[in-house]
Amino acid sequence: MARISEGLSFERPHPAASLLEALCLIGRAFRGSLSILAVLLFWEAFARSGWVSSFLLPSFSSVVERMAGDTLSGALFANLGPTLYRTFLGFLVAGCAGVGLGILMARNAVVRWFFDPVVSVAFPMPKIAFLPIFMLWFGLYDFSKISMVVFNAIFPVITAAMAATEGVEKELLWSAESLGASRRRLLWEIVLPAALPQIMTGLQVALPVAMIVTVVTEMLMGGPGLGGAMIAASRFADSPGVFADILEIAIAGFLLVKGMALLRRRLLAWHQEAKEPTTV
Amino acid sequence: MAAAIKTRSIEAFGGGERGQAGAAPERTEIAIRGVGHTYRPARGRPVKALETISLEVKEREFVALLGPSGCGKSTLLYLIGGFLPVEEGKILIDGQPVAGPGPDRGIVFQHFALFPWKTVLKNVVYGLEKKGVAREERVRRAREFIDLVGLSGFEDSYPSQLSGGMKQRAAIARTLAIDPAILLMDEPFGSLDAQTRSLMQSELLRIWQRSRKTVVFVTHDVQEAVYLAERIVVMSARPGRVKEILSVGLDRNDPGLLRSRPFAEMVDHVWSLVRSEAIRAERGGGT
Repeated sequence: MARISEGLSFERPHPAASLLEALCLIGRAFRGSLSILAVLLFWEAFARSGWVSSFLLPSFSSVVERMAGDTLSGALFANLGPTLYRTFLGFLVAGCAGVGLGILMARNAVVRWFFDPVVSVAFPMPKIAFLPIFMLWFGLYDFSKISMVVFNAIFPVITAAMAATEGVEKELLWSAESLGASRRRLLWEIVLPAALPQIMTGLQVALPVAMIVTVVTEMLMGGPGLGGAMIAASRFADSPGVFADILEIAIAGFLLVKGMALLRRRLLAWHQEAKEPTTV
Repeated sequence: MAAAIKTRSIEAFGGGERGQAGAAPERTEIAIRGVGHTYRPARGRPVKALETISLEVKEREFVALLGPSGCGKSTLLYLIGGFLPVEEGKILIDGQPVAGPGPDRGIVFQHFALFPWKTVLKNVVYGLEKKGVAREERVRRAREFIDLVGLSGFEDSYPSQLSGGMKQRAAIARTLAIDPAILLMDEPFGSLDAQTRSLMQSELLRIWQRSRKTVVFVTHDVQEAVYLAERIVVMSARPGRVKEILSVGLDRNDPGLLRSRPFAEMVDHVWSLVRSEAIRAERGGGT
């Protein structure tokens, strides 16, 4: 490694060449987002062409202007805060409970006998259909929204944790035991880290689910939050407001997923995949 | 790469007390008496893997369990290791019946079974930590064993960054570091390429001659068994029984051993014993 950096310092390229190289580098870095840029440009051009009214499709620049206004007035944070709070709390509860239940199902026959059919039925079901019942039982505030998030996000975590625990090689457990690990410590020292890659995959599925369900519950129940703000804007026929909220939701969701992918790379630095580039 | 044997690592094996071969009268370390084993899969019929195996392994002896695939030689090793319950017959280690796995019996698996989330050093340190060795001392000892197997410089690598041979070296270091009296090896070189395998075989001999542990080595490779073991237990096709026990008695420090006539004759003889069993196993196994 040291040799490579020495080699670089030896041959200094011409300033013009290095500028070109830098441009190429920037180009390469943004190549992945070029299509998004194209869509935004098309949106702007189409909205300004006069073929549609600005009520049906406000221009991208006016939406950005609204987002800037939301940010400066603090309205953005007043709505983003509750949304992120619900997403994270719901995700955290679903994550902990899901990993615990999944591992238990893999290791205890009775727990498995009880929960396996329940999970199989509930996993593919559109659980958002339970929303009226949750509203009836738990009201319209945080508790019912977060319960709904947990209810939706927990199933991919359970199935991933169960499959991961079952997939832990018995040789790993035997090695640890013969090196002197007690049975009690095996769960923490061997099973959990060995199952981590697959558990992380389950969590990576659960996080966007948590975000989506948060926004949907906010849309249907109202109150502070990005989803609620978006529905409120639509009721006032404020189409730049609706589009601004949609973009804000999109950006927040993208950053969450990206952050999760980074966390995965960090936690699984030892894993084969760490050497490959991430797509998410 | 590992030719330089550090004399200081010898004492780390407890070479002082147990290193002198033949100093004490030979003691029976592992006694296997009428052991059988039946696998009961969740679905399908139970399979008789082992039948009335009786065998004694002396202290500091190198014994190979040789037989065709599926003859239950690994099962026997797992029973000695305490990974499977002894349901039929008895296995005594130093006169005590086996009750679960323990650090007195170290194991090396064919597929290494290194902890992939730990570096080589942390893998080796793990067992020392369980033994209650003080922090600095365990790192020092782990480094010594990593050095012994020729992996110096790879302490901070993760298993996924190592080649097959290096992984097995790391696994051997991890097992040796806790200084088990008995070393159980389950086809440890079975997944390595031919060149690495022959290198690792002579390395293992070198290490064994220094540490003088009791070794039970499972293999289906006749040459490997003749080259490494003092005694070879030839097993029959399923259900596994002891077909014959052979003493090898070749001088393994002779560099020309592999090309010598006695070696070739021994391999021939053992192969003739295994051959019929291998054919039987190939045709659908025994009963």
